[in-house]
Amino acid sequence: MTAPALTAGPARRTSTVFVASAFVAGAVAMLMGGMLAIWLDFRANAPTRVAEDGGRLIKDWLKKDVAIPEVLSNTMMFTFVVACLMAQWAVYAARRGDKSHATLALAITLFTGLALLNAQIALWVQMGIALRTDAYETMFCAITGTMFAIIASAMAYSFVAMFRVLAGRVNDVDVLAGHALYWYAVSGTFAAMWFVVYVQK
Amino acid sequence: MVMTTTHAETLSAAGRPAPASLGALARWITAADHVRIGLSLTLGAALWFVVASAVGVVLGLERLDSSAALVDAGALTQLFSLHRFALVFGVAAPLMLGLSLWTLPAQLHASNISLPRLAAFGWWAWLAGSATVLVSYLFNGGPGGGAQQYVELYLLGLGIVFVGLIALAVVVATTVLTRRNGQRLASIPLGAFSALVGAIGIALTLPVAIGAIVYVWVDFVNARVAFGGAGFINTWLGWTTREPQTLIYVVPTLGILADAAARTARITSARQPLRGVLLVGVGIAATVIMSSVTQQAHVFALGDTPFATLQSFVPFALFNLLPLLAPLVVIMLSLLALKAGKPSVSGALVASLFGVGMVFTGLVGSAAMHMDALGLVGTVFGEAALVYVVYGSVLAALGGVALHIGSLTGRPLPDVPVILLALTGFLATVLASLPHYVAGFMDQPANSATGYSDAGVVGVANAAVALGHALMLLVVVAFVGLVAQSRRGTPSADRYQTQVST
Repeated sequence: MTAPALTAGPARRTSTVFVASAFVAGAVAMLMGGMLAIWLDFRANAPTRVAEDGGRLIKDWLKKDVAIPEVLSNTMMFTFVVACLMAQWAVYAARRGDKSHATLALAITLFTGLALLNAQIALWVQMGIALRTDAYETMFCAITGTMFAIIASAMAYSFVAMFRVLAGRVNDVDVLAGHALYWYAVSGTFAAMWFVVYVQK
Repeated sequence: MVMTTTHAETLSAAGRPAPASLGALARWITAADHVRIGLSLTLGAALWFVVASAVGVVLGLERLDSSAALVDAGALTQLFSLHRFALVFGVAAPLMLGLSLWTLPAQLHASNISLPRLAAFGWWAWLAGSATVLVSYLFNGGPGGGAQQYVELYLLGLGIVFVGLIALAVVVATTVLTRRNGQRLASIPLGAFSALVGAIGIALTLPVAIGAIVYVWVDFVNARVAFGGAGFINTWLGWTTREPQTLIYVVPTLGILADAAARTARITSARQPLRGVLLVGVGIAATVIMSSVTQQAHVFALGDTPFATLQSFVPFALFNLLPLLAPLVVIMLSLLALKAGKPSVSGALVASLFGVGMVFTGLVGSAAMHMDALGLVGTVFGEAALVYVVYGSVLAALGGVALHIGSLTGRPLPDVPVILLALTGFLATVLASLPHYVAGFMDQPANSATGYSDAGVVGVANAAVALGHALMLLVVVAFVGLVAQSRRGTPSADRYQTQVST
């Protein structure tokens, strides 16, 4: 008598992409954290001088004639919430094997990314700052430019994830969970930058 | 019917078989397996070691006579900067990551690393970036460089190097976390655990440096009103090549020593005495991550009041004394493991013990340098501390290769030559570093070949340093030769594995 052959157990769930995404998300957070730290250092140590009216001390940091379009920056902040919701929706749909909804969610995530890039460009155009006068403008362009690149990287991730789902790998939840995590991290990073650069200035 | 199968990759367009060497080259270039990528990184680090030690010799000779100039004064700043870059990002970081990639699957009983294509990207990015940095130095770029385009090229190359190293670190950390085959994190070999700690450290600290590069680059190509131009690049990025940050790159040396001690004592990894403390000891090295957050040196100075002194001491202790515990704990517990088992002298143990000892000495020196009362800031003392750490990591890497090569290739290295090379390497490291510790107390300035008296002890110290660098280069070349020669032999069982199982 031979023992009955055991059936194969459930496939071991690998979370390679999710773990790697978590590390990359941490790296992105540290990148922006470091830049914000230098920003705060420069702002705190910006030279002070007596105002022309002689009544008070003013800091040579943000020029009087430079206005940050807060409607745009606040809109960007809210757009990130939408992007995160869509990224999480993609995970929800993939867990149920729902290819069409997963694809739709990823497409909207990609589109919100595009909207964010558009808003960032509009913000630069409306501010009209040049890169050749003072520390504030140099640092503003550097930090918002880096954020622009980070958003573009998240969009690239969305594109790859959507391509995979369209190609039939809808059950690959690991990738979509990693994608959602990355968008959360980018959103958190933007929130920190938004508060320091756009709100506190 | 006779079927003939031909492999497409071995045929050229004309239908003739392609040369075997061309095929091998193509396979190597497109490789995405841990052996080839790990070995490529290790060999790349060996090539950079030739650059680093050669520059070390030139700088030592240049300092023999403080009034005569062997090297053009304008190039000297860049040469000092190149020496630091070569030691840290040319040798220490890729060597440790390469060794980790090469040995991790064997340590974790996995077939390959996670994300092998990302690892290949990391290797090529590091290679391209480091070559770009070297070219920028050759054409008057780098920190303090006078050619604007090549200073920009330097910043670009440095950024690419950091991106490559971060990619490799993500691969190492992900491999350890996702390919443990059911082992608990606390049960994996110390080599794998220390690779994880080091990789997390690199993945979290180098992005901060990339942020600084972005600021410096934008400022450099535009207004130059905020970050001070080429001469001030190291003001913003210097922390990446100073202690304690360098400990992050060489954390895997601690695991190499712990594993070598366990194997030499013929005990399994799980039976290492006080294994939990050992894990914590390696983990302590991660506190250095905080150095990237503050991006500055923390000097201990006596204040006017006890509170002011305490205010100065706490950050100094956090950044300079706490990291010392990592190598100290590992050295002590590795010696304890030897006492608990039935040890015999092995090349891997001797090399890694000397290596971690040198790393520890470098960190002690760095802590001493940050004590204001000793007046060592701005002297060659700091250069010596870096050489101790990097050459220590090279010695430990020799031990790591000797430890794992038997399991990986079936051709273990003979112990006696490895021990002799380890002893010579120890002597070379001491020669290349200790004299500058002494010269530091005699106020020989760092990053300069003038402004000190070259008579007496300082002159002898500079000659000894040049000799030490040259000797260390010979040790590395001899070790590479030893490994190459061992590959000619017949594969045999790894003697360490045999001993553990019996």
